[in-house]
Amino acid sequence: MGQGEVQSFLIVFSVIALSLAVTVVVLFVLFQKRKNRLLKQRAMDKEAFEKELSETQIEIREETLRNISWELHDNIGQLMTLAKIQVQMEGSGNPQLDEASETMGKAIQELRALSKLINPEALKSLSLAEAVQLEMDRFNRMQFLKASLEVKGDSKPIDPKEEIILFRILQEFFSNTAKHSKASELRVLLSYTDSYLAITAKDNGVGFEQKRDAYSGIGLKNMRNRAKLVNAHLELFSEKNEGTQLKMTYNFVD
Amino acid sequence: MQISDLIYIGHLWEFVAAFLAGINYKKFKGSKEKYFLHFLWFTLVIDLIGDVLGDFYEVENYFIYNLYMLVSFPFFYYWYFSILKKRTHKTYVVILSSVFLIAAFWNLIVQSWEVYHKYTFVTGALFTLTCAIFHFWQLLNSDEILEVKYKLSFWISTGLLLFNMGMIPFMLLSEYFDFSTNAYYFFVIIGLNLILYGCYSLGFLWVKEKYNRS
Repeated sequence: MGQGEVQSFLIVFSVIALSLAVTVVVLFVLFQKRKNRLLKQRAMDKEAFEKELSETQIEIREETLRNISWELHDNIGQLMTLAKIQVQMEGSGNPQLDEASETMGKAIQELRALSKLINPEALKSLSLAEAVQLEMDRFNRMQFLKASLEVKGDSKPIDPKEEIILFRILQEFFSNTAKHSKASELRVLLSYTDSYLAITAKDNGVGFEQKRDAYSGIGLKNMRNRAKLVNAHLELFSEKNEGTQLKMTYNFVD
Repeated sequence: MQISDLIYIGHLWEFVAAFLAGINYKKFKGSKEKYFLHFLWFTLVIDLIGDVLGDFYEVENYFIYNLYMLVSFPFFYYWYFSILKKRTHKTYVVILSSVFLIAAFWNLIVQSWEVYHKYTFVTGALFTLTCAIFHFWQLLNSDEILEVKYKLSFWISTGLLLFNMGMIPFMLLSEYFDFSTNAYYFFVIIGLNLILYGCYSLGFLWVKEKYNRS
């Protein structure tokens, strides 16, 4: 085999080796790229699915609340009103029965307030501040904690669907305060600016140890999921015997 | 030991791949690739017969390889036909196989059986390349790409693609070089065999049953 032949052979050999290498690289890059795209797509699908799921859950919950609200208002409310009239008719002049009738009157009032606060349709006609104020009033009437609401800045309209979600998050917080915190005071601050709404809710109760308590379980997870749904930023601070604080920021523009 | 004895190393790769196919057979016996086990052992036997005839009896053994090509390429085509899903791809495979068979039989008739029918090989290899590209296209456009590492058909196609890409120019250029006395030739052949059977072996090692059901 001559010198020239060896040389041309080596050239051919190199060209082939090079093209094989290029093929391998191209194949690898092509497959990797495609794979990443597919993985991204899957992650997005999953996120969309979870959002859908959260929305459906909320819808079901609102539907349930709506039904309960109707039942409270139309059925139990009517029965209580009837009972009140019956007591009044029976006992005009009897101080004990008068007192009972008065208590029943209060109960009916409470029932109506509650029915209004859990009914999504009724909430739609209220602003967030009004709804929170109703909730505060309810707490004050029940007299086991002192609740107050402060509004700073000019209130701005919020999409009613998102407003309900914000309100439900606050309700979740309030119901935890009422059930677990043993607090004597509950303060809510709604602070409006041009671009966002900052919501702070604070109690002076027993608090909980973050990450350990059962409280930080489902309830908190629900709150976070809902906040995510309306693109609100949610933070919860708590320490044993230091009370609990909820901070939420809702952006008017995305 | 002569330089041409190096070719036995190529048979060693072949044996390794066939052996790995055997011990992992149950992981891909539910797939269309299951016949590769038989095909690899068949190839090994053919090569050994070729060696025995050529080296011990010193018979011109090219006719064995010429006949072998009539089995191996149609085997690949049949396999691709069964795994390709697009109708147009299947049609192309049928057309390519027909063209190949006509060319191969034509060469058997007009050419001497004492030479290697390299144009049969080049035709077969080109068509195999085409099929492999069809298969890659199919993989790229499906969810299977996420588990491609565990798919036997991917590794077999990669092996076939690289092997045939390397072999085609060598076959075409064999007129200009005297390969029978050329050591580089054997290195290239052994190298390409290593790539081919290396890919097969990786496939048989990594194959997972759940991604290889047909």
